Amino acid sequence: MAGESLNRIDDTVLVREAQRGDRAAFEDLVRRYDQAVLRLALRLTGSEHEAQDIYQEAFLKAYRNVGSFRFECSFYTWIYRIVTNLCLDHLRRKQVRKEDAGVVVNADGEEFSVIEQTADDRPNANPERDLLRRELGSQIGRALEKLTPRERMVFELKHYHGLKLRTVGEMLNTTEETAKNTLFRATQKLRGALSGVRSGGDVRGGDAARRGQAI
Amino acid sequence: MKCEWVQQNIMLHVYDELADDARYELDQHVARCEACAAELAAAQEFRQTMATVTVVEPSPYLLTSSRMRLQEALETAQQGGFWTRLTFDPGIWLRQVRFSPALAAMLLLVGFGGGTAVTFRAMKGGTTEVPGQGAGVNAGTMTEDANITGIRSITPEPGTNRVNIKYDTVNTKETAGSLNDTRIQQLLLFAAQNNTNSGVRVDSVDLLKQRMNDSRVREALVYALRYDNNPGVRLKALEGLGSYVKDDVRVRDAVLETLTNDANPGLRTEALRVLEPVHADASVRATLERLAAKDSNKFIREQSRAQLAQLPELD
Repeated sequence: MAGESLNRIDDTVLVREAQRGDRAAFEDLVRRYDQAVLRLALRLTGSEHEAQDIYQEAFLKAYRNVGSFRFECSFYTWIYRIVTNLCLDHLRRKQVRKEDAGVVVNADGEEFSVIEQTADDRPNANPERDLLRRELGSQIGRALEKLTPRERMVFELKHYHGLKLRTVGEMLNTTEETAKNTLFRATQKLRGALSGVRSGGDVRGGDAARRGQAI
Repeated sequence: MKCEWVQQNIMLHVYDELADDARYELDQHVARCEACAAELAAAQEFRQTMATVTVVEPSPYLLTSSRMRLQEALETAQQGGFWTRLTFDPGIWLRQVRFSPALAAMLLLVGFGGGTAVTFRAMKGGTTEVPGQGAGVNAGTMTEDANITGIRSITPEPGTNRVNIKYDTVNTKETAGSLNDTRIQQLLLFAAQNNTNSGVRVDSVDLLKQRMNDSRVREALVYALRYDNNPGVRLKALEGLGSYVKDDVRVRDAVLETLTNDANPGLRTEALRVLEPVHADASVRATLERLAAKDSNKFIREQSRAQLAQLPELD
């Protein structure tokens, strides 16, 4: 906690220097948050190339507008707000195009699955379980695709990035209550889409699935 | 507490978003309600299922290349200034003035006073500093900087740290001084970045190498390394920056960019040598792996492999 508030104080100093036109201070701010920004963009776009574009656009926007940053929230929240807006735009466009999101395209144009990137390296891992895990991963990917952009964003920020819903609300320019409702809707949809699937990677079929309790 | 409320808030419980009193009540209810207990178990299993897919960290190469691209764009990007902000968000300023009548009155008085003083000074005839005489950075030298059209020559005095610089404004002028002289440093920085004569740029970068602890000098040399079209200038800049690859990440990124993209194979080889002390760094390692796998230059490929071979295996 102490480290967090110290970070925030440092941020304030750096932001003030950046507002005076100190580019090195702005670049220090970039280095504090750019990995998290790139991670979020990569996860939501599913493409290294597009994630890089969002990264670039977000920080350039921040640089051009840092002068109007008024310390009403943390710099971290502010930069995330810019990134989430860009990602939401991207998701909306993507929904129109209905792309296959389970596949990531790297900088060299090669395609690979997001799920396959998370290989099971546990000591007792076996190929069969790994295969089931990948299958489960694909199902999760498809279920996430069915969410609205806003539901997807709230769920990603909460589940995969571990942010508090109050912060998520601030980032999305809404209230904590609305973020809670959005999370509720997202989880309901996901549970519906993944009914009959268990965390061990088993995909129950037919009667077994009907008998089993939906997660 | 009703089951309906529990069902609606169970996910917030699972994601640790319930207030302490609500959490306590929910736990109490679940302990005596079988249906809600089953719902809680299902919600927890859902969270566990979703955690099967972990978040992929961006590769060091992707991160480094994104940073390089951003740095390049920042070179030309402009921050929104006073007028831009006023143009785009006049509401902010209006709110300030509305809520601070004293401040507004003071601004008005300062504006009026300032205007009167400037007019008075203009009528009286202001004095300006004679340029090229001394060391200080002042309004006179700043005004003159805007008039410098080019540096004609740079001649170091052997055995001293003094230097003669011939430069053009409307006419050619000449000034001499020590490398510690701010005015001399400004002219050298100007020469390193703006001159059309590459020989002069080589001389200025070579002299600036002696003042690498100054961040403005490092910035000028990074600029020269990345953008100068003369390989000699880039090589001098690389020589100067070499000792900073460990401590200054921007220098490291610029040298990595040279290693990856420079058109001159000699410079790339030199960049490879310069990066040797930091080859264990994640971004350097990722670049070396890439070059070792598919660089078009055989020597660079082999050298990258040789450096990678010296590194310990990653777990």
